Amino acid sequence: MSEALQGLIYGLGVATVPANLLAALMGALLGTAIGVLPGLGPVAGVALILPLTFTFDPTVGLIMMAGIYYGSLYGGSTTGILINIPGEAPSIVTAIDGHQMTLKGRGGAALTLTAVASFVGGTIAVIGVLLFSPVLSEIAIVFGPSEFFALTAGGLLVLSRITGGSFASGFLPMVLGLAMSTVGVEAVSGYDRFTFGTQDLLHGFSLVPVVVGAFGVAEILMMVDRYANRIRPPAVGWRDLVPTREEVNRSWLPWGRGTIIGFLFGLLPGPSATMSSFAAYRLEKAVSKNRDKLGTGAVEGICGPEAANNAAATSSLVPLLALGLPFSTVGALMIAAMMVQGIQPGPLLLIQHPDIFWGVIVSCYIGNIMLLVLNIPMVGIWVKMLTIPTHILISLIIVIASIGAFSVHNAIFDVWVLCGMGLVGYFLRKMGFHLAPLVVALMLGPIIEKHFREALYLSNGDLTIFVESAISVILWIVVLVLMLTVPLAKVWQRMSARRGTLEAD
Amino acid sequence: MKILNTILAAGAVSLTTLATGAVAQSYPDRDLTFVVPYNPGGSTDPIGRAFSAELSKILDRNVVVENRPGGSATIGTGDVVKSDPDGYMIGLGSNSSLAYQPLDKDNLAYASPDDYEILVKLVDLPAVLYVSADAPWQTLEEFMNEVKAKPGEVRVSVSGLRTAPDLVVQYINANNEDIDIRTVPFSGGGGEALTAVLSGRVEASVGYGPSIRSYVDAGKIRALGVFNDKVYEAFPEATPVSELGYKQYLPASYYVIAPNGMPDDVKRKLIEASAQAVQAGDFVKFAETNSYQLDPKTPEEAEQELREYSEIFAQILAFIGG
Repeated sequence: MSEALQGLIYGLGVATVPANLLAALMGALLGTAIGVLPGLGPVAGVALILPLTFTFDPTVGLIMMAGIYYGSLYGGSTTGILINIPGEAPSIVTAIDGHQMTLKGRGGAALTLTAVASFVGGTIAVIGVLLFSPVLSEIAIVFGPSEFFALTAGGLLVLSRITGGSFASGFLPMVLGLAMSTVGVEAVSGYDRFTFGTQDLLHGFSLVPVVVGAFGVAEILMMVDRYANRIRPPAVGWRDLVPTREEVNRSWLPWGRGTIIGFLFGLLPGPSATMSSFAAYRLEKAVSKNRDKLGTGAVEGICGPEAANNAAATSSLVPLLALGLPFSTVGALMIAAMMVQGIQPGPLLLIQHPDIFWGVIVSCYIGNIMLLVLNIPMVGIWVKMLTIPTHILISLIIVIASIGAFSVHNAIFDVWVLCGMGLVGYFLRKMGFHLAPLVVALMLGPIIEKHFREALYLSNGDLTIFVESAISVILWIVVLVLMLTVPLAKVWQRMSARRGTLEAD
Repeated sequence: MKILNTILAAGAVSLTTLATGAVAQSYPDRDLTFVVPYNPGGSTDPIGRAFSAELSKILDRNVVVENRPGGSATIGTGDVVKSDPDGYMIGLGSNSSLAYQPLDKDNLAYASPDDYEILVKLVDLPAVLYVSADAPWQTLEEFMNEVKAKPGEVRVSVSGLRTAPDLVVQYINANNEDIDIRTVPFSGGGGEALTAVLSGRVEASVGYGPSIRSYVDAGKIRALGVFNDKVYEAFPEATPVSELGYKQYLPASYYVIAPNGMPDDVKRKLIEASAQAVQAGDFVKFAETNSYQLDPKTPEEAEQELREYSEIFAQILAFIGG
């Protein structure tokens, strides 16, 4: 405790040096811009500024990189909420209820609430990191292949019906996503699968062009439909930017729940920002008082996920700084920034370079305050997006999305994937399928397979390894409960309803 | 000896700079691209960046690092091999991407050193065998006795099947009747193979200095052995396997490559600048702090070395049935 307090004071001293303040501001600004532009993600942004950081003090570079990462999560939901085009994978679920709010004229309030949600998630996570990072860093070690298999495979099952609808409307896209995830170089032994001898397919289907295609390009095609039918969301006046008291009151609990979920996911490897926002949405569906309204423009559906993905981005600094383990591409870039400057990331960073360790963590706190101050007034500007003539908006988005897709691997093939997924997404949606399960499956498929096979290598083929540890067993029980409660409740309702009618007779 | 070499090299450089003064003005007249065929971050990216920073100082042009990962580094490497031979695109190659991958895949843009130019060899990275700090084995000899007593049972985590650390282990398995170490893949980069040791899921792991350095310093793991023919300066406590009579080393080796067919004066200038860059103070310091073994080799020596690697990899593949 006193160590954390000393660290906080020391870190405050480092983070408030003018150069570091400027770095946090630059990172926040760049991150917001990158987040708002669909398809351009934090990975592209951080990779671009990596060479710049070599000439600065390492702390400056790392603060700026972290700023871009969590800053992009502030802006990421803007286009999703206003025009139903999520900028990156974590904001897919925010767009569900956020865009419904826009259609009801509450888009400005939705943006304000997500900015505050991001702030709550980000700042509470910083406090968690400050207090608990030495203890929490061990979590990554407790989780082995069999535990991760339970988490990811169970997670896929639970999330497959996240958007509701019939069983088939989520299941078919999920199977499609799993099939797509097998294309490319397979992770465990490096064999090529379904590449048909081409170089382009070696990368497989990357998340960014698929997400931006299936949601962004498909939505643009839908917009063309709607334009023909002259349905447009109502414009948002200045007064509508302020959330009502009722909206704020309903946000507190989702903010808190989302922050806890996001914080825990950030400590584990994998796409934690995306996973946590999906999980937070699923949690709201299970426990929120207004769970029946989710999907129709409920504030719970935006506040939980947005708090979660920012908390995850912040808590993923724990394994990065305390263990030197990069659990995300952005983390790997931050490790590279340290190594080029001769700093050894790892368990000794706290002792050898306390200025970096505490400075980066405290700067996250300052960065989040900057982002809140920046983003609240920006809401008024973003909502003007709704007044841009549709033909100009569409052209702009297509150009930006293509650049974003290209930037992932510097490959033109990804732009074709973007276009193809746009068409696939358009037709699937026209037929009433849900696309979120496709993205979840594409993201988790390779991870599930990898952990499954690694566990079997570890046990020499013995399947009991999957239920050997208490963590795996608990995870599977949670999955079973979540999977079975809704269908069982329905059966129960039907049975009691029948009994009721029998007794009435 | 080293000083003498440096003086000779410096003399040679200044002489040839005089001789090719006309070229120096025309090439390079714009920025160069340095392709790193790996993800940004990761253990290989920094060596490419450190080298291109030095090259940039020498050529007085920006040398822009471009990451083109994928296909076990064959995509970016293929891009360099196929690029216009004008001296403006060069890239990082390794014994894995240049010598091993062509044996594994037959649709690559290159098959042997005949298909590209090697400008310089950069560094070697010997593989280290390490165990958790609370493991019972204190020396490499004790560990190898355990391996011999339990063939096929002692597990060593590696960063994916048929990756460099896996091949290091299979190389020693293939050439010693009494050794059968079981490798377990953890393909999330070196980090997951390392956590498998820390959590006691496997008996040991084979990895590389840059990713384990701080864990050794923190006393969480113990470097028992190094697949090397001499003491590894970064880990002097690790016993070279050569001391126990094993002759299988197989370090990760890194080179700088360029496409075939560059104009002679451009090629000469690039080779000279590259040789200068690997001896520059900042690069040497970078190599030392990150546990790389400096091994500057001329293009001819490097080509010979890569051909030898090809034979070794072919033998290992025959052994594991690849």
